[in-house]
Amino acid sequence: MAPRIGIVGAGHCRFGNSSDYDLVDVIAYAANEAFVDAGGLALRKEVDQVLVANMAGGLFNRETAVASALVSRMDMEPCPAELVENGPASGASAVKLGYMAIASGMADVVLVAAGEVMRSVTGWEATDIVATMAHKEAEYNMGLTLPGFAGMFTRLYMQKYGLTERDLALVAVKDHDNAAKNIYAHVQIPVTIEAIADGPEASVVNNYVAEPLRMYSTCPITDGSAAVILVNMDSPKARLFKKKPIRIAGIASATDTHCVHNRKDPLVLDAVRLSAEKAYKMAGIGPKDISFAELHDAFVIFELLISEEVGFFERGTSFLAVRNHETDLRGRLPINTSGGLKAKGHPVGATGVSQIFELVRQLRGEAEEGRQVKDPKYGMAVNFGGFGNNVVTTILAKD
Amino acid sequence: MIDFSAYGEQTPHIHGFRCQKCGTIYYPAPMVCGKCDATRDPVTGRGWEEFDLEGRCTLLTWTRVWNLPEGFNKKFLMFGMVSFPNGLKASGRIEMEGDPKIGMALVARTIEADERPGKPVKVFVFELA
Amino acid sequence: MAIDELEKKLRPPEVALAPYPAKVITLASGETMVVRECTRADVPALLATVYPLIEVAKDYYDVVATRMYNEILSWYRYRIANEFVIVGAIEGVIAGIVTSRHVDPKLGMSLHTMTIKRGLRVGAQLFAAKMEHHLEYLKEEEVWIVAESPIGFKRWMIEYELEDRSALYPGVRHELGGVPTFALTRKLWDAVKAVKCTGTRPVPPAALKTAEKLIPPEEYIQLPGWKRNG
Repeated sequence: MAPRIGIVGAGHCRFGNSSDYDLVDVIAYAANEAFVDAGGLALRKEVDQVLVANMAGGLFNRETAVASALVSRMDMEPCPAELVENGPASGASAVKLGYMAIASGMADVVLVAAGEVMRSVTGWEATDIVATMAHKEAEYNMGLTLPGFAGMFTRLYMQKYGLTERDLALVAVKDHDNAAKNIYAHVQIPVTIEAIADGPEASVVNNYVAEPLRMYSTCPITDGSAAVILVNMDSPKARLFKKKPIRIAGIASATDTHCVHNRKDPLVLDAVRLSAEKAYKMAGIGPKDISFAELHDAFVIFELLISEEVGFFERGTSFLAVRNHETDLRGRLPINTSGGLKAKGHPVGATGVSQIFELVRQLRGEAEEGRQVKDPKYGMAVNFGGFGNNVVTTILAKD
Repeated sequence: MIDFSAYGEQTPHIHGFRCQKCGTIYYPAPMVCGKCDATRDPVTGRGWEEFDLEGRCTLLTWTRVWNLPEGFNKKFLMFGMVSFPNGLKASGRIEMEGDPKIGMALVARTIEADERPGKPVKVFVFELA
Repeated sequence: MAIDELEKKLRPPEVALAPYPAKVITLASGETMVVRECTRADVPALLATVYPLIEVAKDYYDVVATRMYNEILSWYRYRIANEFVIVGAIEGVIAGIVTSRHVDPKLGMSLHTMTIKRGLRVGAQLFAAKMEHHLEYLKEEEVWIVAESPIGFKRWMIEYELEDRSALYPGVRHELGGVPTFALTRKLWDAVKAVKCTGTRPVPPAALKTAEKLIPPEEYIQLPGWKRNG
């Protein structure tokens, strides 16, 4: 029987601009915070495996083999260490591989540390680097970028289901409101619907990025790091950690076509649905059991689409739930309580672990005042790699 | 014998690929045929036939992107996804005045673009029919 | 005040510039920013705002702050011709400043743009306001533009599709030195003003009153830990 695996330590830095700092230091900062949270830096010697998530350190920072560097920076040699790269799903993939390391019996304690420093290059260069996850000949060479795909996607959804630009702005207002209370968020400024959608200046203040997506429907370029410590809850080592583990109830992933134009239905995110189904099955629960969720909203349209694909809402109706405030912090099903990628920020390699950090904080009851979900039982995180062609779903449980 | 025509002025083309074992067509090229498991040798091209992917197509969706990546010093570019009569789909740039409409008929051709460092790359351009 | 003969010789000839009508912009945060032209009475607050940023090397704040300090002080002391200064203020607190000069009826010379409150595109709004003044109210035909920050400049160059006049150097040479000069012509402005320039006029009296007496910011995100009265 597979062991129970839980998270006993979690760390996070303030997302924003860390371009003055070395990438490995940025990641090590979150790792240190995770150990402090778990009971102290002396616990480093209990770690059997280090997994580091980072998407493009070689391109953004001219730093590669980052896992090896981190182990040395943290004085953790000779602990085994590997780098995990799965585009923007690197973080959750690293957690999944950490889970598998413990489930296989090869480890009892795993440190998963994730980070990205994107602001060491210009915004145009960062956009170009992120675009390298697209198909080189059929997409990247055309000049297509992630905002471009998201714009095309949004237009199709608007045409099919009647979503409006104002609906997208409502999601942004919610996300910014949540992030304003999150001490780790990049953008802690609330925005108003009047300013970004209804008012006479809204079209200039909230300008188009990739029509019909506007600036406040897309995430900022962000630096940051997050880390979690996984433990085999059934091993004696579990007793070394001071906090009760938050159990990983389900974790799974799935893939889809690399070229976005080759999806069977461009508005159907098969990889999201399949990974969520597997995670639900592993956890023995369904969508109705989820108390809150962190959904990969690099573009606000994704929060809506993913929430439908994982079964929270019928296809084409999620934006109606937003209009009814069902996904607000005090709503029926809070989504992106951290502020989401939209306002918390999206350091690509770190995001998956940052989402799981939020789940842990909420399930422990440690979120900031005004941002704590009431009595959460199960939290879900969906981390997108590529443009939805490699997705990891994680479900955490408060036992 | 040398094929001297290879040195002449070349019109760029983007290719679709046909599996010669079962006839299934693809764009872009796979390494394995999803229907009959035939593999493609990228060096010899054995077992696969290339054909020009161009001409009439239908617009599936589009966007106008204002924040372009490094190397693209333009205010904006329009991009779209199209489907060809043979069922293949592709992404590329749209060149036309005004706003495109989903479902409109366009014509696909290939150009060479050099916004990024390195060798020029082949790019689809979709224009009014 | 009587100006003595020597002082008169040292002052540049001035033309009476059409005033810039104040406007108010609702920023994404919901805060309202009053955008108005400054008078010499605003100079103490303007200088106090700019001065601390002389120490910030990042993003070329040091060069821009030094030069803007000079421009504001020179304008105050009547040692620069036909300059105007426009400020953006949120509840009276200075959020950004732009400086510029009217050269002749056909030409404007954009000097500097400084964002104090970051994250709300204040700089972009004030740059557009400056261009609005040059082309809509001073009715010039074009504005010459250069920049210190390569990133900031590239954004303007692309978003406004500025005309590159660098090949005409030294015939076309911006006052700020031997940097490549770009031009925003009336035609280019007309093509972008709807998406770049916004604001509501007239400013409601209560809002205008808040911007009557300008207040230098207490803190700067560009200077972590710095406090004006600490």
